[in-house]
Amino acid sequence: MVKIEYLTPASPEERKRYYREEWNIKQVPEYIIQSIQEREFGFDHVGRGPNDRYKVFRTPDLLKRFLKVRTPFAAYCSVAFYDKPRRRDRWTKAELVFDVDAKDIPVRTCECEGVCEICLNEAREIVLGIIDTLKGDLGLQNIHVVYSGRGYHIRVLDNDVMSVNTDVRSQIVKYLVGADVPENEYSLDFEKVSYEHFVIPFGYPNVFTKRVKYAILHLNENSELDEVNKKLLKDVLKHRQLIELDNWGMFKNKIGPQRYRKVIKGIASMNMSLVDAKVSIDLKRILRLPSSLHSMVSMKCTEVKNIETFDPFDDAVPKFVYER
Amino acid sequence: MIVRELGEFDGVLSENDDLMSIVTESRSQEISDDSFIPRSYFDLALKRIEWYAKKKNDRNFDHKQYDFLFNPDINKFDVIAFFLLCQAIGVKYGPNSRESRVLVESQGKLIENRLGKLSKIERNVLVTNILNSLLSSAHIKWTFFEDLISSKKLKLHELILDSGEIILDKDDFLERFSHKIQGRKPEKMYEALIGDRIKELVMIKMVMQNTENYIRQVGERSNREIEPNPILLELADKISEVLLASVQTFGQGSGGYGGSVKASALNPKAFPPCVKKVMEGMKSGGRNDAIIMFLTPFISYARLYPAVFSENITKQISDVDPTLSIIQNEILPLIFGAAERCSPPLFEDQPQDKVNLNAKLGFGMHQNPELKNEGETTWYTPMSCEKVKIHLPSLCKPDETCKKIGNPLSYYNRKIWVVKKESKAESAVEEDIKD
Repeated sequence: MVKIEYLTPASPEERKRYYREEWNIKQVPEYIIQSIQEREFGFDHVGRGPNDRYKVFRTPDLLKRFLKVRTPFAAYCSVAFYDKPRRRDRWTKAELVFDVDAKDIPVRTCECEGVCEICLNEAREIVLGIIDTLKGDLGLQNIHVVYSGRGYHIRVLDNDVMSVNTDVRSQIVKYLVGADVPENEYSLDFEKVSYEHFVIPFGYPNVFTKRVKYAILHLNENSELDEVNKKLLKDVLKHRQLIELDNWGMFKNKIGPQRYRKVIKGIASMNMSLVDAKVSIDLKRILRLPSSLHSMVSMKCTEVKNIETFDPFDDAVPKFVYER
Repeated sequence: MIVRELGEFDGVLSENDDLMSIVTESRSQEISDDSFIPRSYFDLALKRIEWYAKKKNDRNFDHKQYDFLFNPDINKFDVIAFFLLCQAIGVKYGPNSRESRVLVESQGKLIENRLGKLSKIERNVLVTNILNSLLSSAHIKWTFFEDLISSKKLKLHELILDSGEIILDKDDFLERFSHKIQGRKPEKMYEALIGDRIKELVMIKMVMQNTENYIRQVGERSNREIEPNPILLELADKISEVLLASVQTFGQGSGGYGGSVKASALNPKAFPPCVKKVMEGMKSGGRNDAIIMFLTPFISYARLYPAVFSENITKQISDVDPTLSIIQNEILPLIFGAAERCSPPLFEDQPQDKVNLNAKLGFGMHQNPELKNEGETTWYTPMSCEKVKIHLPSLCKPDETCKKIGNPLSYYNRKIWVVKKESKAESAVEEDIKD
């Protein structure tokens, strides 16, 4: 199994080789090239964080020249669009972004220290779920995925959402990850009816069901959920094949209704960590530039054409790594 | 049109026989005291606010004193009273004030209560008509409600969304989802999940948002005009008095309108679970945010200015701690203690964070708090629960009290009473034993 942590950081020579021989301006996604004059760029030249900020490129050629000459340790570009990007002034809009970092996923089946094929694949599964909800529930279309080097960025450029503020973005994140337990009792005229989330095959309850299913199927005996003790966790693991078969009612009976409530409450709270919400609500964030080199792990930050089939170990390893 | 009928503005202060007849003839209206009966538009506007403030804060609230608000004949007068309130509050306090928030909330509650007096059919027809007038198309994108979602009047997860649209219509619902529903009647599921409930919710929240927008417009316009009408200013003052009176008479209530929470020595027993967790020390990763962004504002406000949200007046630390002795002797030691308990200790490997801590207290980018630098930065207010969930999700382990509050500081203000009461009871028991 390939472990990225075993890939040593790229040397200055390797960076030079990468930008001068392998990198091509055509690998920078069109949605960035089209708006290049409105975005802020930032660079890290020595590996201590992006402190060369407020850069602006009037044309793709100028960006190309900069990267080929300076061969930075890391390159970033704003999700925000400005009228005056050099001063980060007159903000007009910002992409809606979700950052799924494999090393920060709250339930991982691997035991690795950094990231490995298993957790990267789990990050990919989470990304697929989020995209499904972005399209199916929120009706968004202009969605791009970028492999960041240690996880994935989902970048949404639909005009409808690019102007929304931090508070709306925060609610979108909570909806997508399933951070609220849905109601389970509803009032009709003269009676109360009970619908658990798993019997409602649409809307937010359906999103929540999918996230809970993912979580339960990825828990292990060392997982920690708020107010779920070891015994309850053990019972969840014992009966989880019922969830795999979508026998939710039986699973709830086996666990007990009150204990079931505790489990889904714990999962809802944990789900907030499926993405780094700080990135999503930040209207002026800079993100790693697709096509640039992640020098810490010697991987390419790559635009993902097809997330279903994408494999970072095939598609995001620079040539110089094979020649080491 | 109704407003135009009013004619001269001074008329809002005159006694109005028609209004008084409607009030006194309202079916369950209590008329034993003259003060229960509004005599003018001005009075009626105040009664509207008083109804909400008392209903929310007064355990002895008597709805019979306000029954006229639910008499359909009051409509014409009520509309004028509503606009008077919006204008008074817009002119004097603007849209981000406590008064504005109370008016917007009261408008929502009033509609909700009025709908409750109607039959199911009447209610349905009315809500559908109002919604139709507010919404231009049957297919509504969720982004249309951006303002409502942003102000948290509507929560995204409370709505049924499909392909970017909010589903409100029954036929639309059945067409989209009935083939997916198994073992349950789709019609019943529609009634339960959407039905009149969500339609009413959307309608009420839209009216609330429009009210807030109108107050904002009035505020913006009044900035350009020379002199606001003195009657509106008088009404604005009276509104504040009504709100203050309800707090002074009835204590903190559940809305937290009061400025009655006084600064006093900190009692860690009353800290919310998130603060207790940070006090124990954090692991690397969330250390900086937890100590600097979260704990520092919380501890400083809890000790020095716990009523910041209810008073809604921006202060500097020296306004409440003129010599900075409390900052030096009580607040900083607590924060440094929590930083020391982090692993690794926060200021050991990141000494520059002391400057950031200082900045959050309002003393600029310097090593230590000094009066000469105060005001270079802003004294950060405590993070809301919503923000804690976003920035530091691992901290949020809510208990029962957390359900009732939206900010850890409100938790502290609530809990401090409970803790005081408990310790009084304990000492009473101890004295019993001594006896």
